Amino acid sequence: MKELNELNFPDDVKYTREHEWAKIEEGNVFVGITDYAQDQLGDIVFVEMPAEGDSFEEGEEFGTLESVKAVSEIYLPVSGEILAINEALEDEPEMVNKDPYEAWIVKVKPADVSEFDNLMDKTAYLKLVESEFDSEPDSEPDSEFE
Amino acid sequence: MKTTPLHGWHVEQGANMAPFGEYEMPLWYPAGAKQEHLAVIKNAGLFDTSHMVGITVTGPGARTLLQHCFSKDLEHCLGPKKNPLVAGRAVYGVFLNNNGCVIDDGLVYEVLDHLYFVVVNSGMGGVITKQLEEHSEKVLTAAVCDLTDTLGKIDIQGPESAKILAKILENPAKVLTDMPYFSFKGWFTDEVEGVEPVRLKDGTALLLSRTGYTGEFGFEIFLEAEKTLNVWQMLLETGADRGILACGLAARDSLRAGAVLPLSHQDIGPWPFAENPWLFALPERDAGGHFSAKFIGSEALEAYIAEEYTLAFAGFDPRKMVISEKSFVCDSEGNRLGIILTCATDMAVGRLDDGTLVSLATSEKDGRPADFVPRGLSCGFVKLTKALNPGECVWLTDGKRKIKVEIRQDIRPDRTARRALKKMV
Repeated sequence: MKELNELNFPDDVKYTREHEWAKIEEGNVFVGITDYAQDQLGDIVFVEMPAEGDSFEEGEEFGTLESVKAVSEIYLPVSGEILAINEALEDEPEMVNKDPYEAWIVKVKPADVSEFDNLMDKTAYLKLVESEFDSEPDSEPDSEFE
Repeated sequence: MKTTPLHGWHVEQGANMAPFGEYEMPLWYPAGAKQEHLAVIKNAGLFDTSHMVGITVTGPGARTLLQHCFSKDLEHCLGPKKNPLVAGRAVYGVFLNNNGCVIDDGLVYEVLDHLYFVVVNSGMGGVITKQLEEHSEKVLTAAVCDLTDTLGKIDIQGPESAKILAKILENPAKVLTDMPYFSFKGWFTDEVEGVEPVRLKDGTALLLSRTGYTGEFGFEIFLEAEKTLNVWQMLLETGADRGILACGLAARDSLRAGAVLPLSHQDIGPWPFAENPWLFALPERDAGGHFSAKFIGSEALEAYIAEEYTLAFAGFDPRKMVISEKSFVCDSEGNRLGIILTCATDMAVGRLDDGTLVSLATSEKDGRPADFVPRGLSCGFVKLTKALNPGECVWLTDGKRKIKVEIRQDIRPDRTARRALKKMV
């Protein structure tokens, strides 16, 4: 596991409580998972993505990440329509581990850009991660290894 | 939380640690569980399994006691000819209660006529010792000693294992010959009369066993706890140029699932040990269904009428189902068929277009395409209320997601565990 000071949190993206990042480019929002999330999950072996054209609400589950440890849902940071999925992840899901901020999962046409503005910035997200670090000794054992 | 002698090393290396039974153990190291799994298929992997337990059973009554408590016919258990267990050999079996339900699985090693070594799972030392002691009253001449937390255990697994081990053994040419699958040499303290010692170049005494729980070629090493860290580091340094990796419990879980090996208390447990892929852990049965030897639980198994069937499966892609109270197995229409016991991803395998399973270890001659890149397949065990045949499909679901999997006789092809030692040194 990485220590807090080894984790990478860029300044130019926004963050969610569920550990997704979102970045706006030319009016569209790219979504992925944070360095903390990929480190917690371990090797990602499969990314289940929605279909282009699907629409989701803010906070709605749009796919799952399969890691060696668990299956985790991924939630859309902003409401909108899926314009594109990152097809490269179908063959190389490990890109999410290697470079979580390059390995975007979906590109979304946001229904309401103000939802993006309301996401956490780096400082707020770092606080959230710090609090999770502090509470880690209480984490439950993974059922598969009991 | 209890720790093994390697705990400090795991933490220092940045392992992802998690509770496993009473111990805090590494799930994976920074290389990640996928690379660790693949290292065991291609090169070698090193596992800290010091949380497992050794028990000695000594005295003239030792064999009778083990015959009574362990699910094997010790007089008919070795090889295709079903020869008696002899010194230097080990057998896999289960400890059952009177109802034929599993207390734990384990290996019984015959060290000498009057000295047996039993290896069971983490936390089970006390329970199995108690079970043996209770029945030793009938035998009177056997003593049972629980070695919980006094031994270190390192598993070196993968095709390069013998070559790496050879470099640190005092007498590799002598030790690494005539050592078939499920045989062993040496003892973990310096001198036991009648046992030819196995030593490393630095003098460390080992019990070296040609076993493991990954389905791949390799060894389990038992040694005194305080010597574990030194030997662990020596193996990693020596094996570095052969691609050895330290491996955590996640890789161990995915490797053993692909090798169709059960995890005690998960795939086998407090239900009758019957109708599962592991009946090789029992003696042979005659036409009347009677076992060739009696042991605790044998009568219950002879009388058992099948209600549940434990079956191996493999999926069609790496997607897994997390086991929870909500997860279950169903047919194509959603009718409930049973429960999921294990669901892991074997990262070394994939399917060809016709559905055939291929592993990284499969030779091109045996059908592995030259450009084969394994994507991994989910695999594991289900317990169903209906017997299904290999090739039939079921669905794993948590009520939301649904994953189609195929009932299988075997999962990861071309495993190396049984390869002849002389081809591996």
